[in-house]
Amino acid sequence: MDSKRLLGFIIVLVLLSIFGAFGLMSVILLWANANYGLAVILGVLLVSIAYILINPKGYPYRYMIPAMILLFILTVYPMYYTLKTAFTNFGTGHLFTRPQVIQKLLSDYYYVPDNPVEYDFSIYVKLEEYRPTDDFIVLFRSLASDELFIAPRPDVVQKDSKGNILLAESRMFPVINDKAKVNGKSYQLIRSALHNYILSVVSDTGERYMYFYSPGDSTTKSNAPFYLSEIRGIWLKNAEFTNPDGQQVRLNPNKLFTNFATSERKYGIKTITSIEGGRTLQKNVVYNKKTGRVLTERDGFFYDIDDNGQEYAVEGYISDVGFKNFLKMLKDPRISGPFVQIFAWTFTWAALSVLFTFVIGLALALVLNDKKLKGTKIYRTLLIIPWAIPAFISVLVWKNGMFNETYGIINRFIVMGLFGAEKPIKWLSDPFWAKVAVLLVNTWLGFPYMMTITLGALQSIPDELYEAASIDGATGFQRFRKITFPLLMIAVAPLLVGSFSFNFNNFVGIYLLTGGGPAIPGSSTPAGATDILISYTYKLAFEGRGQDFGFASAISILIFVIVGGLSWLNFKLSGAFEEVSR
Amino acid sequence: MRKLALIMAVVFVFAALLSAKIVIWSSENQIPALQKLAADFERDYGIEVEIQQVNFGDIKSKFLTAAPAGEGPDIIVGAHDWVGELAKNGLLEPIPFLPDSDQYYEVALSAFSYGGKLYGVPYTIESIGIIYNKDLVEEIPETIAELEEMAAEIADDEIVGFIYDAGNFYFSFPFIAGYGGYIFKDTESGLDVHNIGLNNDGAIKGVSLIKKWYDDGLIPQGANYNLMDSLFKDGLAAFIVNGPWATPWYRDAGIDYGIIPFNEIELEPGVTPKPFVGVQGFMINAKSKNKLEAIEFAVNYIGSFDGQYGMFVGERRGTARKDVFDYVAKDAGPELYDVLQFSKSASVGIPMPNVPEMAAVWGAMGDALSIVINDQDTVENALNAAVEKIKAAIGE
Repeated sequence: MDSKRLLGFIIVLVLLSIFGAFGLMSVILLWANANYGLAVILGVLLVSIAYILINPKGYPYRYMIPAMILLFILTVYPMYYTLKTAFTNFGTGHLFTRPQVIQKLLSDYYYVPDNPVEYDFSIYVKLEEYRPTDDFIVLFRSLASDELFIAPRPDVVQKDSKGNILLAESRMFPVINDKAKVNGKSYQLIRSALHNYILSVVSDTGERYMYFYSPGDSTTKSNAPFYLSEIRGIWLKNAEFTNPDGQQVRLNPNKLFTNFATSERKYGIKTITSIEGGRTLQKNVVYNKKTGRVLTERDGFFYDIDDNGQEYAVEGYISDVGFKNFLKMLKDPRISGPFVQIFAWTFTWAALSVLFTFVIGLALALVLNDKKLKGTKIYRTLLIIPWAIPAFISVLVWKNGMFNETYGIINRFIVMGLFGAEKPIKWLSDPFWAKVAVLLVNTWLGFPYMMTITLGALQSIPDELYEAASIDGATGFQRFRKITFPLLMIAVAPLLVGSFSFNFNNFVGIYLLTGGGPAIPGSSTPAGATDILISYTYKLAFEGRGQDFGFASAISILIFVIVGGLSWLNFKLSGAFEEVSR
Repeated sequence: MRKLALIMAVVFVFAALLSAKIVIWSSENQIPALQKLAADFERDYGIEVEIQQVNFGDIKSKFLTAAPAGEGPDIIVGAHDWVGELAKNGLLEPIPFLPDSDQYYEVALSAFSYGGKLYGVPYTIESIGIIYNKDLVEEIPETIAELEEMAAEIADDEIVGFIYDAGNFYFSFPFIAGYGGYIFKDTESGLDVHNIGLNNDGAIKGVSLIKKWYDDGLIPQGANYNLMDSLFKDGLAAFIVNGPWATPWYRDAGIDYGIIPFNEIELEPGVTPKPFVGVQGFMINAKSKNKLEAIEFAVNYIGSFDGQYGMFVGERRGTARKDVFDYVAKDAGPELYDVLQFSKSASVGIPMPNVPEMAAVWGAMGDALSIVINDQDTVENALNAAVEKIKAAIGE
């Protein structure tokens, strides 16, 4: 190995190490965040890249690395994710994972009892060069007994990743004769001689806390911003004080946080022991602290019981449902029922769309390819317009301007005007004519594409073949049949298969024009005469109880299998790719 | 007292450090009023309020993506029918206490309630009414029968007497509900989604009325929203059914229009159509780090008389507070005519169900209406099938 190659190898190695180190860190972080799928996929990607770069046999593959990265991130991962989602109940009501939901139940649910002990409070802060600091103590006054309590600034128990305090705790110490003992320190209240206001609180070590803010005292209003943003906004809003009776005291939501009240966490966790199958099992369960009832878990929901003894769902989480989503497609009569009809129409629609667009596109391409035709550029430009206008706009023009039963141009001027028909055609409300209409529009939208690719393919057919044919005395049609068409199909056939797959899933084309309608009378599902699989399943998955991503994923996997299988069969039978891959 | 004041003066600080920040997603219309409230809030609380403009149509979907990840805003503005889905997903924080709740219209508060809890501070209510072209209509009809008669008289080759988007359940609902059809039974603990009243006698009567309009040739076949809208703008339609979002366009088009609120037109003696009432309001992100501040801003600032009046001035839509309504109605000029008429219409309306199950109703009832309009099946069969569809979609 000469020194130049060695140097190159070392540089590659160093770069690869750095890349690998970052990649590995990402993998570890993703794993730690329970994002196992992405972690594994990234890991496999990293290993393959390393293999390709280090192993001499991998040399030809190294130019594929960018494509491989995109393949893994944009194709493999979404496929994995869809597959994973298909086996869950992810959707409305099931948005969080089970640990997240338990965390939420434990930390977010509080209740203020019917007769809480309420406390007024005032804040005393330590000053530094006449400015308030966030060192403070809270003086509570019980509304019921007028007793005073002192609490030091709460200690942080839990913080989130951004440093926000999620839980802080402190204790309330009774004040007797204006004196209190707090954690071994003595505090003395200093009252004003005139009005008996408590002006400050002084500790035996000489610390001095000045009266700063109380929600009920309008003279302290100017200090409100500091209190709200620095003291309450940081320290008090998630603070829990324990009063001498051992009760939890928090800001009172029912008074919009202007006083404190005893409140309880609604849910707690406890370990229960149960015997299942002869073995003793220890299980952590969530229970309602008020009623003592253990929450039942069913169908990915935590259920509690309300005051009337009625069970209700508290929170839902994502859970595995096995093959339920797939079985639903087979077993549910509302899905399997109109399925055959919709399945057949989906094929018809895709096949006819390809046929019509191709025939028209081919015909126009042949005309435009004629060298005797003048102004081909203008025709070509005009013919591409349907393709250039966004389908979202042109489909709506067709729907409202062309096909409207009473006012549409087709009925008004062509059907009734030109042909003098007595009754208008029910374009969008008759099942047959609605099908004609969607095919018509789709042909209009699709033929420029076919025309363009055919024009391109036509250029590649050598002129000598036609010369030889005309010397042999072949007619125009014979030339088309024997030379043009076969040679054309080599290039175009794979694209026709692609176009078929595209139209098989052409959601926009159907949904914008008819929305799948007109409805099939008497059906118990939202099935319509022009519904194709994807639009029908979209309605099923998203027009029930909110969204059902799990079910939608299962259906898209089914559609993938159908389309993939068909394409494979098609390629096999037509041998379309054999010419290309040779 | 002087000594106390002295201490206050010493302690007084001009600029408090801004620790927390509330982020609001709002659509364009509410921004001017919100900005003023935000400035007040910042002065009183020392907490900054950042208003981010998001397209109204995108707010819900963006919120559904951002909020579970803990990224979303603290407050969003939205429609009441989002509440069910968002609350069921655990993304909304209930409002623990709403001061002056007696000043809010009952319909506005019930629209934002789900499972017995209030999930938003409403600020505007709206519903649809019958809009007519004063150049074509000389006398205001007092019953639907009179309206039919007048419309038939006005109609000729070019002009349509009565047209609206009848295939759309939203616009046809007033006539169905007027006779006693209902979607989900309203119970004490919220809506009972298993009690559906869309194929009862009232609903059948209402849909039959709609069918009659087509059979009599009163409403042209193929009528839809765009067609109605453009015909009315061109002065070619006498009576239509539409909402407050459309009237500025009609004014710009130079149409001299009037609005008949649904409480002033009778289906039969003593029975008026009952439109859907849509309510908009401000909702709080359950995963917000600044829930306390967000709740206070929503309740005490946006929900206050001044706040809601500011919203009203900015948007000119039906207000959710009675005192604001009384205040503006007292010396309302002609420019408030639309607002007042649509508010009257809302007074006989019912809130659009805010449960996620409502998604199944739209499609099923749209299908039923189109089947009836196109004469493919009887009214009874179509409605029974629709209820079947809804029950199947809801499950259980």
